[in-house]
Amino acid sequence: MEELDGVGAASTIQKLESLLLVAVPRDLTDRDVLRLRRGVLESVRRYRSRWVLLDFSRVDICDSFFGRFIQSTARMAGLMGSEVIISGLQDAVIETMVELGMTLPNIHAVLDLDDALALSREQEQQDGGMPAPGVEPLESWEDEVVVASPFTNLSEV
Amino acid sequence: MGQKSTETKVAIGSDTDVIVACQKGRLLASRVGLSINEQAAVAIAVLEVARNIVKYAGRGQVVLSPVCRDGRDGILVVARDEGPGIPDIEQALQDGYSTGGGLGLGLSGAKRLMDEFEIMSCEGEGTTVTMRKWAR
Repeated sequence: MEELDGVGAASTIQKLESLLLVAVPRDLTDRDVLRLRRGVLESVRRYRSRWVLLDFSRVDICDSFFGRFIQSTARMAGLMGSEVIISGLQDAVIETMVELGMTLPNIHAVLDLDDALALSREQEQQDGGMPAPGVEPLESWEDEVVVASPFTNLSEV
Repeated sequence: MGQKSTETKVAIGSDTDVIVACQKGRLLASRVGLSINEQAAVAIAVLEVARNIVKYAGRGQVVLSPVCRDGRDGILVVARDEGPGIPDIEQALQDGYSTGGGLGLGLSGAKRLMDEFEIMSCEGEGTTVTMRKWAR
């Protein structure tokens, strides 16, 4: 894992396989949020990251400004050919996000880093890339079509 | 009397003050016995109204106090500014309505997250948002 420059003292953005792992810090001011978004875009360009994983496990508050940050980051990363995955949302955060009326269309959400890695590896494989060494192919749960038929052989896709 | 001594005032003038108000809101919410999820709801509601102060009025204040009614403990949040005021409150409380480039969920979201929510605003005189959340 390679450490990149991040927001604040703790390194926030790291490269992990085809993922750009962004450990979103807690209590970000508006300015920090914008700086973090720039950092993410710069790193996506530098590392040609196919995926941006926004890990929210340290975040205990997600207000509408934060929601806007996720949406705008996803749109901007999308213009660079990168997709955003969010992970690690705490139960209280999930509850308040839904009560707030926040929706995050076109954003993959997974439970944790393991699921994010599985998703990215599997997708790369479907895209014709080489699977990461030592990784068993997994059944896709991302695609609705595949979910409807859980025994789809990936080699036939 | 007891309420006065425990009231917390946070002057709002920058995005750092917004975070301070949010943290103090959460702390007081935990002190009065609100659950983790209710604390998060209070913290977000404080964040939303405090952000609005910075965005639309530039400065103002957030006052946090413990309250008790019918044997239930809760938190009272009053956010005050002397900014331009809100011309159409009903419109400002609609989901998706924003003049500030946000998601338009700030005020309506705060209203949903809290148990009680009142907003008073006069054009040219400012806005006061009063919210309460009670322990279950």
